[in-house]
Amino acid sequence: MAKILEIRDLKLSFETEEGTVEALDGVYLDVEEGHFHGLIGETGCGKSITGLTVIGLLDNNARIERGEVLFRGKDLLKFTERQFQREIRGKEVAMVFQDPASSLDPVFSIKDQMLEAVRLNKKEEKQSNERIVKELLNKVKLPDVESLLEKYPHQLSGGMKQRVMIAMMLGRNPSMLIADEPTTALDVSIQAQFLRVLMDLKNTTNLTVLYITHNLAVLTEICDEVSVMYAGRIVETASIGDVFNNPSHPYTRKLVNSILRADSTLDSLEEIPGSVPRLINPPPGCRFHPRCEEAVDECSRVIPPVKEIGTNHLVACLRR
Amino acid sequence: MAGRKRSFWIRRIVRTLVTAFGVSLVAFLILHLTPGDPAKIMLGPYASEAAYEAIRERYHLNEPLPLQYLYWISGVFRGDLGDSIRYNRPVLELIKDRIGPTLALMGSALFISITLGIFLGIVAAIKRNTPIDYFATFQAVFWLSIPPFWLGILFLYIFGLQLRWVPIGGMVGFTSLIFPALTIGLRDEAWFARPMRAEMLEVLNQDYIKAVKAKGLKYSSVIVKHALRNALIPMITMIALRLPWVIGGSVVVEVVFSWGGLGSFLVSSVLARDYPVVQAILLLIAMLVVVANLVADLLYSVIDPRIRKES
Amino acid sequence: MSDRDQALLDEAVKDIARLKKQRSSQLYLVWLRFKKNRLALVGFIMVCIVLFVAAFAPLLTPYDPYETDPFNRLKAPSRDHWLGTDELGRDVLTRLLYGTRIALLIGVLIVLFEGTIGISLGIFSGFFGGVIDSIVMRLVDVLRSFPVIILAMAIAGIMGQGIMNVIIAMGIVGWTTYARMVRSKILSIKESDYVEAARSIGESKASIILRYILPNTLPTAIVMVCIMMPTALIASSTLSFLGVGVQPPTADWGSMISAGRDYLLDAPWISTSAGLAIMFTVLGFNFIGDGLRDALDPTIKRA
Repeated sequence: MAKILEIRDLKLSFETEEGTVEALDGVYLDVEEGHFHGLIGETGCGKSITGLTVIGLLDNNARIERGEVLFRGKDLLKFTERQFQREIRGKEVAMVFQDPASSLDPVFSIKDQMLEAVRLNKKEEKQSNERIVKELLNKVKLPDVESLLEKYPHQLSGGMKQRVMIAMMLGRNPSMLIADEPTTALDVSIQAQFLRVLMDLKNTTNLTVLYITHNLAVLTEICDEVSVMYAGRIVETASIGDVFNNPSHPYTRKLVNSILRADSTLDSLEEIPGSVPRLINPPPGCRFHPRCEEAVDECSRVIPPVKEIGTNHLVACLRR
Repeated sequence: MAGRKRSFWIRRIVRTLVTAFGVSLVAFLILHLTPGDPAKIMLGPYASEAAYEAIRERYHLNEPLPLQYLYWISGVFRGDLGDSIRYNRPVLELIKDRIGPTLALMGSALFISITLGIFLGIVAAIKRNTPIDYFATFQAVFWLSIPPFWLGILFLYIFGLQLRWVPIGGMVGFTSLIFPALTIGLRDEAWFARPMRAEMLEVLNQDYIKAVKAKGLKYSSVIVKHALRNALIPMITMIALRLPWVIGGSVVVEVVFSWGGLGSFLVSSVLARDYPVVQAILLLIAMLVVVANLVADLLYSVIDPRIRKES
Repeated sequence: MSDRDQALLDEAVKDIARLKKQRSSQLYLVWLRFKKNRLALVGFIMVCIVLFVAAFAPLLTPYDPYETDPFNRLKAPSRDHWLGTDELGRDVLTRLLYGTRIALLIGVLIVLFEGTIGISLGIFSGFFGGVIDSIVMRLVDVLRSFPVIILAMAIAGIMGQGIMNVIIAMGIVGWTTYARMVRSKILSIKESDYVEAARSIGESKASIILRYILPNTLPTAIVMVCIMMPTALIASSTLSFLGVGVQPPTADWGSMISAGRDYLLDAPWISTSAGLAIMFTVLGFNFIGDGLRDALDPTIKRA
C-alpha cells in the first residue's frame, strides 16, 4: 500500500483583526492511495483548512509556520501558485465544496463549465470532449444529460449541483478528491443518493477521497480510515472498525457514544461539556483537556505525542 | 414562473411611466415655483403690456394650472416645446443645434470614466490591501473632493494658457474635446472604481471562484472569464444610477470650457430666465435618465441567465 | 395576568436589556475601528483645522476681506500678501479664511435642511409602509432622475440669487439619499428582535419609534451627514460659480474661483487657492465619512 498524501507536523496560522489564529498546530495525516479517508471534527477545528492546504487554495492571510505536506513524495508547501495550478489542481487533486448553491458559476451553462474542465486535459476534438462530458455526467448518475447540459446552475437542485461538481472535478481524472462537507447542505434522502454515487466511484475506480465532515454516521458508510480532529490537531487515526469498536481518545469516545444515540451530528454534542476553544488563545498542553473527564495535571502542560497503539491505530493522548 | 416574470415587467413599466409623469410635472412646475406672474418672471418687469399678454396667450398662463400642464405636455408630444424668449425661435430647433456637441462630450467622458473606473476597480480588488489598492481607493476620494468646474479651470490654465497644447475653450476640432472629456471622465471614474472593486471582491470571495481554481484553470482565466463576467453584470445598473451625476458634472464643465452644448445653453437660459428652454432641457435630461434605468434593467435581464432562463 | 404571561413578559424585558447592552458594545467596536483608520483620523484633523479657521478668522489675518485697494490689484504672492491680491486689491488669503465661514455655514445648513426632510420622510416611509411608502419612494424616483446640481440650479435661478435660496433649492432636491438610507435602515430595525420584543409586550407605536427606531437610526444619520457634507460643499460652490448662488462681494470660495477665472493668466493664485481650500475641506469630510462607513458596516470591510 502506497501513501498518496502524508502531512507531517503541519502548523499554520491566520492573521485576523482580533489576533493570530493558530488554526493548525502539528497535524499528522496519512492517506493511503485508493482509500476513502474521513476527517471528522467540530466546526472550526481546522479540517477544511487542512483540505485547502493540500490544494493550495488558502486565503492570503494564512501563514504556514512549519511542517510538510507530501503528495506522492513531493512537498506541496514548497510549490508556487503556478506549480499548484499546472501540476496539482484538477490534474492530481480536485475538491468539492460544502455549498452546492454557490460552487458553480451562475452565468455559465453546465456544458460550458464542464467543457472548461475537460479542455484543460489536452487538445482533443470538440466532439470527443463533449462525449467525455456526457460520460462523466452519466457516471454520477445524473438523468437526462442532454437537456442538463444546456441548463444553468440555478435551474438545478442542490443534489444535482453537487453531483455536477463531482463530475466536473473528475473531468481531468485526478488521483485524489477532497470532499469538504459535500452533503451538509443537502436533504437526508439526497445525501444517501450522493453517497451512493461516491460508493460507486470507490468500487469502479482507484480514486482516493479525503472526506471532511462533522457527521460520523456518513463516514461509517463510505470510509476505510478515519482521522479525528480537535482544535487544530489530529487526536486519533484508525480504521473505521477500530474507531467504533476500540475508540481510544476520550474525544473519539464521546463522538462514538453520540452516534449511538439518536442524533449523530457534532453540532448537538451536548454530552461533551464546554465548547470548542477559540484558537486565538488555545489551551496549553492537550487542547481537549478543559473538556476531558480523564484529564490529569500533566495534560495542561504537555502536548501529547502521537503514539501507535495498534496496527495503523494512532492516538495523541497522555493517558494511553 | 413566466407569469411572475411578466408581472415584474408590468410593474417595472408602470413605475417608469409614473416616474416619467412625475418628472414632466417637476419640469413644468419649475416656472411656478415662486409666487408672481410667470410672464413677468420670463420677460422681466419692463416689457410692454402687449408682450406680457402675448406670452400669457402663447403658454395659456391665464388657464388653471392643470390645464396649462395639459397644454404643455400635449405640445411636448407634438414636438412643440415652446419658443425661446431670448432667441424667439422654437426650443426644439435650438436643442437640435446643440445636442451633438453634448452627446460627443458626454459619450467620450462616459467612455473614459467607465473604462478607467472598471479597470482601477479590478486592479484594486485583485491587489487588495497592497499599495496599489490604497492608491486606487485614495485617488477616487481625491477626484471626488475636487469641484469639477475648478478641475476644468486648472486644466485650462495648465494645458491651454501655460503649455498651449489645446485651444482655450470653444469647439475647435478634436483637441478641444480632450480636456473637457478628461475633466469629467477622470472625476467620474471615481463613481465606478469603488463599486467595481466591491463587486469584484464579493465575487472573488465566492465558492465558485475557488471551485474554478480547483479545476486547475489559469489565474488570468479565472479573473477574466469568471470573476469579471460576474462582477460586471451589477455594474450595468450602477452606471445607469450614476448617470445623473455624470450629466450634472458635464453641464458645469461645458460652462468652464465654453462648450457650445446643451449644458452651457441650460445655464445661460437659467440666468436669462428663458423658461421654455429650461423646462425642455430639464425634461430631456430627466427622461434620458428614466429611460436609461429601464434599459439597464432590460439589459440586466438579458445578460444574467438567472433572470433570462427563469422558465 | 397569569404567571406564564408574567414570565413571558420578564423574558421580553430581559431580551430588550440584553440587546441594548449588545448595541452599546457595538458602538464601542465602531469607535475602535474608526480609530484604527488612519485616513479617518487625518480627515478629523483636517476638519478641525477648518473649524478652527472659521472660528478665529479675524484673529488670523490683519486684513479685512472686503476692503479694496486699487493700488494693489492682482499682486502676486508676497510677504505682505501670502496668497497675493485679487482684482480689487483684496487680500486673497484673508478672503479664503473668511470664506471658510460661508462654506461651512452653507454646507451645514444644506445638510441640516435636506437631512431633516430626508430623515423624517425616510422614517415615515419605512415605519408606516403602504401608501405613504409608495408615494415617498416614487417622489424619490422622480427627483433622482434629475442631476442634483442641475435641478438645484434651475430652482435657485428662478427664486433669485442669495444664500437662502441655495439652501432651499438644495434641500428640495437633495433629501432623497437620506430618505432611502434611513428607510432601509428602519426596515431592518423593524425586523429586529428588540422591536419584536417591544411589540410583544404591547408598547405603542410612538414609543417604539422614540425608544428604538430613532436611537438606532442615529448612527446611520450621522454617517449620512458626514457623507453628504462634501456633496453639499461642492454643490454650493458650483452654484456660486454658475452665478446662481452666493453673490460677490461675499468672500465665498466658489465666487472667488469664478471671478479669478477672468484673471487666470495674470493672477492664477486667486482661482487656484480658492479651489485648494474647497478640496482641503471636502477631502477632510470625505475621509471621515469613509472611515465612519467602514467602521459601521463591517461587511464592506470584510469583503
